[in-house]
Amino acid sequence: MSVSSIILQQLVNGLILGSFYSLVALGYSMVYGIIKLLNFAHGDIYMVGAFVGFAALGVFGGMLGTNWLGILAALIISMILVGLLGMLIHRVAYQPLINKRAPRMSILITAVGVSFTLFNGVMVLTNGEYQSFNTSLGFEGIGIGPINITYTQIVMVSATAILMLSLYWFINRTLYGKAMRAIALDQDACRLMGINVTRTISLTFFVGSALAAAAGVMAGVYYGSIHFFMGFVIGLKAFTAAVIGGIGSIPGAMLGGLILGLLETAGTQLPFVGSAWKDVFAFGILILLLVLKPTGILGKSEIERM
Amino acid sequence: MSRKYLSVIGAAALSLSLVVAGCGASQGGSTAPAGQGSQTASGGEIKIGLPLPMTGSEATYGKDMENSIKLAIDEINAKGGIDGKKIVTVTGDDACDPQQATAAANKLVSAGVVAVVGGYCSGAVVPTLTIYNEKNIPLVVTAANSSKIAAQNPGNAFEINGTAVHQTQKAVELFKKLAAKSVAIVEQGDAYSADLAKQTEAAWKAAGNTVAAHEVTNKGEQDFSSLVTTIKSKNVDLVFWTAYYADGALLIKQLRTGGYKGAIVVGDGSADPKLSQIAGPAAEGTYVLSPPVAEYLPEAKKFAEAYKAKFNQSPGAYAPLAYDGMNLLADALKRAKSTDGKAVIKALSETKDFSGLAGKVNFAADKTLKESNFIVLQIKNSKFALVQ
Amino acid sequence: MGNSKQVIDSLMDKLGGKKMRNTALILLAALVLLLPLAADNYVEEVMTNTFFYILLALGLNIVVGYAGLVDLGYAAFFAVGAYTTGILTKMGWDFWLTIPAAVAFSLLAGVIIGGPTLRLRSDYLAIVTLGFGEITRIVARNLGITGGASGLVGIGRPSIFGFKIYQISHFYYIYFILVVLGIVVALRLHNSRLGRAWQYIREDEDAAEAMGIDPVLTKLYAYMIGAAFGGVAGAFFAVKMTAISPETFAFTQSAMILLAVILGGMGKIPGAILGAVFLVFFPEIFRGIGQARMLFFGVLLIMIMVFRPQGLWPERRS
Repeated sequence: MSVSSIILQQLVNGLILGSFYSLVALGYSMVYGIIKLLNFAHGDIYMVGAFVGFAALGVFGGMLGTNWLGILAALIISMILVGLLGMLIHRVAYQPLINKRAPRMSILITAVGVSFTLFNGVMVLTNGEYQSFNTSLGFEGIGIGPINITYTQIVMVSATAILMLSLYWFINRTLYGKAMRAIALDQDACRLMGINVTRTISLTFFVGSALAAAAGVMAGVYYGSIHFFMGFVIGLKAFTAAVIGGIGSIPGAMLGGLILGLLETAGTQLPFVGSAWKDVFAFGILILLLVLKPTGILGKSEIERM
Repeated sequence: MSRKYLSVIGAAALSLSLVVAGCGASQGGSTAPAGQGSQTASGGEIKIGLPLPMTGSEATYGKDMENSIKLAIDEINAKGGIDGKKIVTVTGDDACDPQQATAAANKLVSAGVVAVVGGYCSGAVVPTLTIYNEKNIPLVVTAANSSKIAAQNPGNAFEINGTAVHQTQKAVELFKKLAAKSVAIVEQGDAYSADLAKQTEAAWKAAGNTVAAHEVTNKGEQDFSSLVTTIKSKNVDLVFWTAYYADGALLIKQLRTGGYKGAIVVGDGSADPKLSQIAGPAAEGTYVLSPPVAEYLPEAKKFAEAYKAKFNQSPGAYAPLAYDGMNLLADALKRAKSTDGKAVIKALSETKDFSGLAGKVNFAADKTLKESNFIVLQIKNSKFALVQ
Repeated sequence: MGNSKQVIDSLMDKLGGKKMRNTALILLAALVLLLPLAADNYVEEVMTNTFFYILLALGLNIVVGYAGLVDLGYAAFFAVGAYTTGILTKMGWDFWLTIPAAVAFSLLAGVIIGGPTLRLRSDYLAIVTLGFGEITRIVARNLGITGGASGLVGIGRPSIFGFKIYQISHFYYIYFILVVLGIVVALRLHNSRLGRAWQYIREDEDAAEAMGIDPVLTKLYAYMIGAAFGGVAGAFFAVKMTAISPETFAFTQSAMILLAVILGGMGKIPGAILGAVFLVFFPEIFRGIGQARMLFFGVLLIMIMVFRPQGLWPERRS
């Protein structure tokens, strides 16, 4: 392989990996933006999404086939169910603490508890076994010069783009989106203006969880196997991506995911870095970036009130 | 005494009451309270400890090994036990974690076990060696095989799984047979896979060959595409994966999707039928270094059937060795004519041609197997087939 | 759940009486000191492990509870201490001499991590500390001097005045002494000038700065002292386990220690103790229910936080 084709292929790899990070990072950022909570359970929501999609594919696979139609059905069902799960988690685990004006650290620990519950719940249900996501998608693809891109990859990236554009439209063009943005600015004022704050927060959880579920199903289809701890690594990475982009910022999360994907891919290939050091490389750049620009790339600076 | 100090004491007192309550509860879990252990042992029972991962991500292996050991014990007890004494077991959950493993080891010691069989994760076995040794408790390790165990062995541990050294020899043999020139080794950054990778790299280089890449993945990562591109860019003709099947399957799939055409070899952590289940057609032709698996052992037919009948599932990769380990221990207990730790350790080291499912067991000076029992399998039509 | 809240509250009220507290003190000291006579190795091991987490929780409590800083990478300090002692004892150093070295390196790590990052907003501090924790683990995994992924094995057992420390009951008493020392240090710090400065910064950083407190320097002290606790705990961990490996210092470990601090009640020493006890005992007590145990743990964690958001033994702020 020539140097230029290696670089191009790694760019493609980085963008695909990054689009998964972005989808998960969006949920992190949205929840943070609205209630300033680092939702540690978000990676596990992604994992639950993959398993719900797996189950749905099992049910609908027979009816619609394990091709794109069946996968689309599984994706939608998983997004809805896991979105509802996100709302349930918000109502049961987070809202009572918000109502009591508990310290933010306590809500963080509650999120760790939710993460434990989901993680171990799925482990008990699946007996810790790996499930293989059997789809009838092939390895065929198009070669642009020396670059190899499969159809599956093209569909995945397009689906991610469609989801992100819809989110962008939802946040900026709908009344609910407006309410979310308003709550992020000033909750008390929103209450005075007659916005149902709790319900809007619930809705944010629905949207964020549904996006993570979509990423989970797509990862299951794309990589071919799912397991109960698949959410842990991506949870950490998505959190990192959200911070790189500027946590709380929607375009920031999208950008952060892509940047992190590219950084990791570059780290793997670079001499003196390699796969063993790629995470050190990515975290190192993250820390450097935060020291130089403490709000992330697209984050707004604000005065902190604890 | 200030108020602060006193509130500390209050908390500690509360904690201690929890402790006492906790100990009562945890004691209830094991078969007999401590202290009585030795008395019952002299009565009519021999108590054996099973340190295995029963919770956590490796729990399936632990359960499989526990089943296998219990099957062996049932057979021994049905034949009258050891000199008329029945064998009973206590399982200590090490959760594949060094800290929990030391607690589990102390639990087994407290329960008064005479000997110990098991050990799946190397990292969890190493810190427990001295705990057993201080009480002269022999330990038959049936799965864990990092070279650190042999290096740290105070003399009471006997490994009946081929070690990393054995596997390395087999791997180098296979690489030569496949006429590999430039090899990429991929590990997962844990004690077991890093050890195998390091030893193989050293042996392959010592044989005058090149290792073009030594890569590390993280457990739980799913995307290896950049790794695949890196490996391809280094013109590698053989990839050796030293870690476990689940991630190995993903790597194999992505290597093939990414257009890698060379040979793929995986270590014994990936010797699981699920490898080809997850990787699908991409796994065709993959070579697998394997501990002796039940279906390729002529002796093991009866064992596999009995296992299936009892537990309603097929024995896993480490089941035959766990079964052998228990039988070897029983054999040593009979030869020692005593449950005294030193006598049993002596009997174990004097083992000569003990024949188990996986072949003959003889120990070298470092208490690992004298001869390797690794076999090479290849995936053909989604099934393992014996190569040699 | 409301019931248990009342029980805990009434218990705390009763312990509030001076007489009760003195009785509790005597009872407790006797119990802890005499426990090894009655208990078996397993109980001693679990208790020793509890002491160990109490020590770590006390250290992290200085950072999180006193100074109000988020730290998701506390295991890094504990790792630095453990590896320093491990490497130096293997080089032939006496264990007791490695402790100052372990503390020095942990302090250094505290400065390296804290120095450039303490100006950051608290949420960014969370990710930066998490990142440093991961970096520490990966560096330990990749370097030769730290033994790579297998870690260091065969770390020698220490001796004191010719008496070799190797049995679990020896470590039980040593860890108990460490906990007592840790409590004394933590209490003195809490009531010191520095302790009040931390409290001030936690409540209102701007006002504190206006009063002439240097917030960055004061926060850095919290980091360094917290790191020193981790370093000491790590040094003793290395000789107790005789083998250390990078997996022990993963993110989960940091999360567990943080859990102990917040679960018990931030900023409060009895809270940190109670949190550590809960953390170690819960999984041991419920080991019998197998895989479902951690699921139960997660659910219980949510319930505790929902019903007692300030922790089991919260600080009563005036």
